Amino acid sequence: MTSTDVAPIAEPSRGGFFGADLRFLGLTALGLAIFPFALHLIGGYGGLATQILIVSIATIGFNVLLGYAGILSYGQAMFYGGGGYLAAILLIHAMPNHPNLWLAVLGATLMTTVLAIVVGAVSVRLYGIYFALLTLAFAQMVFFIVEQARDWTGGDDGLQSFPTPLLPIGPWNVDLQTPLPSLALGPFGNLGDLKLWYVFAAVVLVLVLWFVRSLTRSQFGEVLDAIRENEERSVFVGFNAAAYRLAAFAISGALTGFSGALKALYDGTVSVDSVGIERSGSFVIYAVVGGVQTLFGPLVGTAIIMYLENVLSGVISYWQLVEGVIFVLAVVFLPNGIVGTILKRRRARTMLVNAVRVK
Amino acid sequence: MELLIQALLNGLVRGLIYVAIAVGLTIVFGTLRLVNFAHGAFYAIGAYVGLVVAQHFGLVPAFVAAPIAVALFAIALDRLVLRYFYDKGPTLQILITFGIALVVEETIRLIFGGTTQQYPMPPGLAQAATTVGPITYPTYQLLFAVGVIVMLLLVWWFIRGTTYGLVVRAGVRDRIMVQLLGGNVQLASTIVFALGAAIAGLVGAAASPIYSLDPDMGFNFLVPSFVVVVVGGLGSFWGAVLGGLLIGELQAITTLVFPPAADVVIYVCMALILLLRPQGLLGESEVIRQS
Repeated sequence: MTSTDVAPIAEPSRGGFFGADLRFLGLTALGLAIFPFALHLIGGYGGLATQILIVSIATIGFNVLLGYAGILSYGQAMFYGGGGYLAAILLIHAMPNHPNLWLAVLGATLMTTVLAIVVGAVSVRLYGIYFALLTLAFAQMVFFIVEQARDWTGGDDGLQSFPTPLLPIGPWNVDLQTPLPSLALGPFGNLGDLKLWYVFAAVVLVLVLWFVRSLTRSQFGEVLDAIRENEERSVFVGFNAAAYRLAAFAISGALTGFSGALKALYDGTVSVDSVGIERSGSFVIYAVVGGVQTLFGPLVGTAIIMYLENVLSGVISYWQLVEGVIFVLAVVFLPNGIVGTILKRRRARTMLVNAVRVK
Repeated sequence: MELLIQALLNGLVRGLIYVAIAVGLTIVFGTLRLVNFAHGAFYAIGAYVGLVVAQHFGLVPAFVAAPIAVALFAIALDRLVLRYFYDKGPTLQILITFGIALVVEETIRLIFGGTTQQYPMPPGLAQAATTVGPITYPTYQLLFAVGVIVMLLLVWWFIRGTTYGLVVRAGVRDRIMVQLLGGNVQLASTIVFALGAAIAGLVGAAASPIYSLDPDMGFNFLVPSFVVVVVGGLGSFWGAVLGGLLIGELQAITTLVFPPAADVVIYVCMALILLLRPQGLLGESEVIRQS
């Protein structure tokens, strides 16, 4: 193939018509509306659905890195736990009297994004094991700071009982802990089991999915694909690979910090585990089981593993062994993950990716 | 002064464990191009096999059984799973070996429970201490250090002084040419993989009387050992030795000065090395891009 006659920027495969986006949003919203009731049918409780939605945002952020940029970060917990702690600290110290959920979450997200840019700026020139270990190193430094700065973080005890943040929407201050109206749905549970938090998390998740979908279909996503497939040629074509990877790392840090902040506010607590090495590993497991390089894979993987953890940990003491076995089987037999395998058809390669690929 | 020397001896013992694990990691990477996150699991399996054998037959049989059992496990793992991942690139290798390490850790937890365990030690050896001048130090630790050093020298001789080692080293440079010349690269590679695992298993069994056993021990020693490999230079034998001693001593001195920072200091050290000299202290720069 002659790559010279291929324009550097192939025909953009953008989101298509506004109608296509609308259909995507509608179907996703419908799925998320059914999800908690389906989950109840198989034994998950109402709060689990909300937690899955919130945590899956971090997995989606991780997938931007591993799936689309093709780099394995082993330090996502610094953003996840960092976002949680920052949101809690903002609530406690900056707005004890008027706890505002937007300000706390977006403030924390902004700060984790800055952290991601700083860490990314020194890390993205490394590859493979070096990148994984350097991100791990930074995460361990964040862990150390969190553990030592007891006045701010509570040290090993973590932070509890921070002010319940309210969500200002127009003239109302909404308390997301408010349960939905009671409505018995037989084996599907009760609408009243859910709090407003679920609605909020679902809306936020749909927006995040839409954002990542648009991102991966944009020219940015195309270049990221090309760099992942063959960095050397992409650089020859004229793209600054390090800058693109840094951008992916920053987006990933932002989404992960956002998720961690929401989770801390939903739980009302934040603990040192959230910045620990095992937390970083959990996003790897969620994403790989669900399917990297797919939009819904991270959500599916997070849901399956968190559901199993929730259901199995009460029944058998070795659910973590089950989790490990699932992970190994997924890597060996379903390298595209559950969603990737179901979809079978990989995303059509764009001309840019074809141009840089090695036959 | 005595405190400092005690700390340095502690650092030496811990550093030698890192060296032993890191040497396995680094020769496996050097020969098979495999980034093995399951290497810490070899260390843990060696410790627990050693524990069971020691409980029934005593220490010396434990130190014989542990490396053999771990080497057999490693060969099975390599033939059944890992060989399909040799050419899959580091990311997938990290994922699969991370998963295997998780499964091993949880299996140990299932069999032995999550609590820490102590080795049955002959009472004479458990309390024995050697005094040199003002310094008193447990005899077992000193024997351990000498044993590990002897073992490392034997490994070095194996790689540098035997035909197997020659085939392995040549195979890294040009696998096909070595095979054309009649060298069995596959066999040599398998031997190296089993050897690296056996070293980790033996040291796991031998170090466990010093540090207690728990299911997390594999990861707890693996991650610092990876730090050691990176600091020393991936693929470099003497880099692993230098890095291991450096990291062990750094941790020991930090423990003396500011204990809470003992864990984080090695990551700071690694981050600085990666940023200033990414190929590591004694590494070759060519490995960076490939991995």
